[in-house]
Amino acid sequence: MLETRNLDKSFGAVHVTRGVSLKLERGERRVILGPNGAGKTTLFNLLVGELSPDSGSVHLAGENVTALPVARRARQGLSRSYQKNTLFDGLTVEENLGLAAAIHTGNATRLYTDSLARPEVREIVAEVAEQVNLMPYLHARVSEVSYGVRRQLEVGVALATRPLVLLMDEPTSGVGPEMAKGFHDLLNNLPRDLTLLIIEHDMDLAFDVADTITVLNYGEVVFDGLPEAARGSKLLKEIYLGSWEDA
Amino acid sequence: MSLDLGFWTLQALNALQLSMLLFLLSIGLTVIFGLMHFVNLAHGALYALGAYFAASVAAVGGYWAGFFLAPVAVAGVGVLLYSGLIQRMRKSGPMAQVLVTFGLIFALLDITRIVWGDLALGLEVPELLAGRVALLGVEYPAYRLFIIALGLAIFGALAFVLSRTQIGAMIRAGVDNDAMAACLGINVERLFFIVFCVGCALAGLAGAVAAPLLSVTPDMGLQILIPTLIVIVIGGLGSLKGAIAGSLIFGFVQTFGAVLAPQLASVLIYALLAAVLVIRPVGLFPAKG
Amino acid sequence: MFRHTPLRYGALVLLASAALFQAFTAEYFGLEILTEILILAMLVIALDMVAGFGGMVSLCHGALLGVGAYGYAILSTKVGLTPVAAMGGAVAITGAIAWVIGAICARSHGIYFIMATLAFGQMGYSYVFEAPLFGGDDGLGGIERLDLALIGLDLNDGRSFALFCLAMLAAIYGAAVLILRSGLGRSLSGVMHNEQRMRALGLTVWRVKADVFGLSGLISGLAGVMAAQHVMFVSPGLLSWTVSGEALVVVILGGLGTLVGPLLGAAVFVLLKHEVGALTSYWHLVVGVILIAVVMSRANGIFGWIEARFGARIERRAADAVRDIDPREVKTDA
Repeated sequence: MLETRNLDKSFGAVHVTRGVSLKLERGERRVILGPNGAGKTTLFNLLVGELSPDSGSVHLAGENVTALPVARRARQGLSRSYQKNTLFDGLTVEENLGLAAAIHTGNATRLYTDSLARPEVREIVAEVAEQVNLMPYLHARVSEVSYGVRRQLEVGVALATRPLVLLMDEPTSGVGPEMAKGFHDLLNNLPRDLTLLIIEHDMDLAFDVADTITVLNYGEVVFDGLPEAARGSKLLKEIYLGSWEDA
Repeated sequence: MSLDLGFWTLQALNALQLSMLLFLLSIGLTVIFGLMHFVNLAHGALYALGAYFAASVAAVGGYWAGFFLAPVAVAGVGVLLYSGLIQRMRKSGPMAQVLVTFGLIFALLDITRIVWGDLALGLEVPELLAGRVALLGVEYPAYRLFIIALGLAIFGALAFVLSRTQIGAMIRAGVDNDAMAACLGINVERLFFIVFCVGCALAGLAGAVAAPLLSVTPDMGLQILIPTLIVIVIGGLGSLKGAIAGSLIFGFVQTFGAVLAPQLASVLIYALLAAVLVIRPVGLFPAKG
Repeated sequence: MFRHTPLRYGALVLLASAALFQAFTAEYFGLEILTEILILAMLVIALDMVAGFGGMVSLCHGALLGVGAYGYAILSTKVGLTPVAAMGGAVAITGAIAWVIGAICARSHGIYFIMATLAFGQMGYSYVFEAPLFGGDDGLGGIERLDLALIGLDLNDGRSFALFCLAMLAAIYGAAVLILRSGLGRSLSGVMHNEQRMRALGLTVWRVKADVFGLSGLISGLAGVMAAQHVMFVSPGLLSWTVSGEALVVVILGGLGTLVGPLLGAAVFVLLKHEVGALTSYWHLVVGVILIAVVMSRANGIFGWIEARFGARIERRAADAVRDIDPREVKTDA
């Protein structure tokens, strides 16, 4: 469903992504681990098209999308949530979801009707609000809700385009342990055929939800396999220099 | 249209002279943007003030008195503007500052009319530079050569200051990351103030220098503002390289365009602007990005 | 996204009543001023649409009005089209040009955007000034007003023309509200709040900006047509940067992003212009001072200030009076 072949990217002398090759099957849930600076967010930027690779390719549902701009890839089913909340402050939760749903259903450029009034948009908004537990907050403004709810909305907006592949960049960052547990339930609410690629630091969560684990270090893939195999790996313990033990 | 070398030399020199005049204006505007993140739209009005000051002073003291005093006077106006208005707007964000300077254009337009009246003023080319110089097969007005030389000299001086001096390094640091520069102990506010005043002085100098060539009217500010803005958008905001590149491109396209394709001439430079905005919106050599 | 609040409805009713009162009771000069206000109001609605609701602060809208005016002049006097056809043509041409400008400047923001639109506006001015077709500095005359004999209106009568302009303005206001509340309007709002995210969700952002700018151009073109019919004469001054600048000052004076504020701003501005004009010829100084004062005051213009100060209070009272309105729904847009 999502595949990269030998993705390479440098910023001047800094080689941030080295020959990264990944292959995700449909419905697969993969977690990407790695210390800070390992190039995880850069990889996401390369996948969605915000950055162009120096070499290598990105494939979505079998099609080579390396040359496609961000908006095109998004329309073909690639969606992303950000590590730092990238929401539409000043609008309500419902409106935030509505914007994404409108784009997906082709209502984003309608001239005579309000996109949020369209049944197909309202349907998606309701569905996503259920999935990410935002029902009580629909009419509240983004500025009025708590950080945790905003994190949920961050994922919700990405989901409202009904993607084939969803990239989540540290979805639980900055959120307390109870919310992190809630996130586990959130993931269970998602359609099973949705392919997920998640960057995470929370180890418990990572091993809990992942079908497979990929570890990046200094821009290259150092481990790619099942969570059980990752747990016992000496290499991983070294990479995380003990911080992993506490998690 | 002839093919002789003299003709082309003449056009090239004209282009270079226009470029240098625009350079004097654009460098002040672009470094102010690079450092303070706002575009002083009243820059053209300051240029006009420079021309008016020069004309008035020259009427009693001769051209050179005007030449040296106009930049000082305009820098003085810059001090007033900075402490009275712009400093107060620093926290409001760039858009508010731009709008305030836009308001200044309107205000200064009428202030000029109040002080100097509605009739156009004139300024004579000084005796020293009144003749022509034989150069590369043409007889070129000495005064225009003077403008070219002045522009190049200032470019050289600024390049030297920016790359070889302490203050130049501080300015470049400030342009790159003003918050970080402040953390390093650089008095960024004072740097802003100095750069702003130097920028105003250069605008005043440009006005004084242009006055003998054009008529001094209240309108001249906006007439030159548009080309200056085009220069910095094409060249890229915040850098010396961008200012000189943009100025040269504008000067040559405008001059040769007027000669080779008169109907298209006025539209040509805007077509170039449009192309840059679509293909590379940050310009050719921006300080950042 | 635009919402009508009780305060906004109230302001609209007040302004409409004042306009109607003026239209029916005023004599020649009063009608002239009213018409001037109404035409400026059309232009500033177009500008608020892109600047207040789309974050695209434009300094070329005066030029767009000029294009509409000249378009009507040329199409009706030189090409010989009927007034209706000429109006349609002029409006369409202006809309198309605005769309192109919006498309070209779509990747520019804030200050760059302002500078670019200023440059393109000035390009229009130079072009019209220099091309012999447009009569140069002398302008073009002999322009005729629309013939509404079919419905019994003689637009050559000042009162009828003013009422016609009022009707046009009402239609334009309605159209603007429709656009801003549509899917396109919501997307525009999304683009203004977070362009990067809209792109990441799959929106072709440049297209939305260009489309809205084009729609704004249609309205500006119509304002230009009415301006040409009003004075029955066009000159290059219509495309001058001062017209664009004054339009922006009016929007900011009235209240950016309120749609109703600029209407108020237009009335205040034109009335002030005539008062000041009677005393001195230094009107530009006044305009400059107004802009600087409003921006430095940090209030969002006159109407923005009214909304911030009284809006919440009025809305609470209105909400209490009509219990089933969700208080959050009527909160003012910041």
